[in-house]
Amino acid sequence: MNMRRYGRVFREFFRACLVEEMEYRSEFFGNFIASFFGVGIALLTVHIFFYQTDRLGGWTYGEVLVLLGVFNTLRGFIDFALRPNMPRLLEHVRRGTLDYILTKPVDSMFYVSFRHLVFWRLIDVALGLGVIGYGLYVERYVPSAADVLMFFVVMTASLLLIYSLWMMLMTTSFWVVRIDDLSFIFDSFFDTARFPGSMYRGAVRFVITYVLPAVLITNTPALALLGKWSMAAVLAALAVAMLFLWASRRFWRFALRFYTGAGG
Amino acid sequence: MVIRVSHLHKSFRVHRREAGWLEAARSLWRRDYRVIEAVKDVSFTIEKGEIVGFLGPNGAGKTTTMKMLAGLLHPTSGEITVGGFVPFEQKPEFKKMMSLVMGQKSQLIWDIPPMETFLVNKAIYDIDDRAFRQTLEELTELLDLAPLLDKPTRSLSLGQRMRCELAAALLHRPQVLFLDEPTIGLDVHTQENVRRFIVDYNREHETTILLTSHYMGDVAALCDRVMIINYGRLIYDGELSVLTEKLAPYKRLEVRFSRVPDMDWGEYGEVAEIEEGTVVLRVAREKAAGTAARLLERFDVRDINIEDPPLEEVITRAFQEERV
Repeated sequence: MNMRRYGRVFREFFRACLVEEMEYRSEFFGNFIASFFGVGIALLTVHIFFYQTDRLGGWTYGEVLVLLGVFNTLRGFIDFALRPNMPRLLEHVRRGTLDYILTKPVDSMFYVSFRHLVFWRLIDVALGLGVIGYGLYVERYVPSAADVLMFFVVMTASLLLIYSLWMMLMTTSFWVVRIDDLSFIFDSFFDTARFPGSMYRGAVRFVITYVLPAVLITNTPALALLGKWSMAAVLAALAVAMLFLWASRRFWRFALRFYTGAGG
Repeated sequence: MVIRVSHLHKSFRVHRREAGWLEAARSLWRRDYRVIEAVKDVSFTIEKGEIVGFLGPNGAGKTTTMKMLAGLLHPTSGEITVGGFVPFEQKPEFKKMMSLVMGQKSQLIWDIPPMETFLVNKAIYDIDDRAFRQTLEELTELLDLAPLLDKPTRSLSLGQRMRCELAAALLHRPQVLFLDEPTIGLDVHTQENVRRFIVDYNREHETTILLTSHYMGDVAALCDRVMIINYGRLIYDGELSVLTEKLAPYKRLEVRFSRVPDMDWGEYGEVAEIEEGTVVLRVAREKAAGTAARLLERFDVRDINIEDPPLEEVITRAFQEERV
C-alpha cells in the first residue's frame, strides 16, 4: 500500500465531503453549540459524582476528567470518519453500487470506511483535547515527554482498535442488510468506556476489558498521560490493536468472497 | 486478443421458499437451497478495438458474464483473461485498464456536481494533472458536458447524468469498457447521442467494448458482432448481418397504393401486415427485387420499400432456437 497515494485519496474524500456539506450549508454553528453542550453536561455529571465522593473506582476528579477528555476525543474521531460510512455500506450492498467500489484500484476496505467524513465532528476532538488539558490542570500534573509519547502510542492503538471493531460490525451488513443502522450496538458498549474500568465489577468488567475492550480503549491512554503507564501495558495495547485489525481485515475479505461468490 | 473466455460456468445457490408466513417461519431454521446455473460453458474471444453486443432476455446470464469479466464475480469454473489479467485476482493494474458502466446504477456523488466525482476518481486512479485536463477536455467536448459540470448531480436529467457517468468511467482511459444497459430509460434522442459517442470514442481510442442492451437500436447502430445468450448458453456468436440472413431469409416489402387492390397476395409473398393504403409482404431474399419490379409493373404503386426485417424479430427467433 502506497501511503502517500492513500493520503492523497483521503484528502480528496475530505474535500468532496466538505463540498457536500457546503451544498446543504450544514448548520456548523448549531453543531458547534450541540457539541459544546454535550461536553458541558458530561463535565457536570462527573462534577456531581464527586460531590459524594473524592474517588471513582480509585480515580481522582482530575484523572476522571482526563479520561472523559480521551473518551470525547475518540468519539469525535468515530463520528468524524466511521459513523457516516456505516449506513452507506448498507446502501451499497443493497443497491449493488458496491460493484463500482470493487472496480476501483484502491483498497475496498479503505474506501468504504473513509469515503464519507463529517468534518465538523472534529470539534468534538478539539473539545476532548481541551477537557484533557483541563483535567491535567485540575490534577496539577505536567506530563513528561515520555508520558506524552506513550499517550500518542496507545491513542493510536485505541483508534486502530475502535476502527477494527467498527469495521467488523459494518462488515456484517453483507448479511444483515435490513437493519438500517447497526451503530447503536457499538454505542451501547462504547458508552461504558466513559468511566474507569475499575468501577465495574464481575462479568461486566471482564467483558468490557477483555472481550470487547471498550475500557482498555479509553483507560490506557488516560493513564499513560497521567504518567501511570507501563511498557508491558503499552505493548499489550499495540498487540491487541494489531490482532483486531488483522481480524477485521480477514473478516472483510471473507465477506467479499461471500459477496462475489468465491466460496466461503 | 484482449478478452479470452473459455468454458466459463457460474452457478448460484439460491434459497428457495414457498409463500406464506408459516413457510417464512420455517425457513428461519431450515432452508432449502436450489442451484441455478446462470452461465453454462461459455467460450469466446474479443479482439482489441471490437465493439461486441451481448444480447439475451432477462436472466439469460449477460450481466453475470459481464460481472465475471469485470472481476466482480468468481467463476464456478472456466478461465477468463482480460488484457492479460485474470479479473478475479482484482489487481490494481487490471482495474486501471478497464471500466464498468451500469445503466441502472450510478457512481456519481448525488448531492454535488459531477466535477467533484471526477476529481475523486482522479485521485483514486492516480491520474496526473495534465492527462486529467486533456481527457476531461476531450470528454467535455464529445459529450457536451460544459453546462453540466457545476450543477449538482441530483438536478440533472437521466440523459445528462448518463453522459456524466460515461465521462467518470473514461477519465482513466481504460482499454476495455463494459457497458451494462447504457441507454436504459433514455429518450430516443439521447440514446442516439450516447450511441454516437460510443462509436466515435471507440474509433478514436481503439477501446474494446462489450455492451449489453435491451434496445436493438443500440446493437444495430454499434455492433458488427453480436453474441446471443439464452438460458446461460451462448447460442450465437458472429456477424449481425449473417444472423439476420440466417434467421430471417426474407425481406420486407412495404408497398403503398392509392387504393389497396382487394386480392390474394399469395403469389407475391406472405402478408405480414395490411393496412389502409399499405401492404407489407415477406418475400424470400433472392426474389425481393423481382417481386418489387412485378408489383410496380402491374399495379398503381405510389411507393415501395425493401428492407431487412426488424432486429427484434430476428432476435426473438434466435431465442426460440436451441442453437443458431
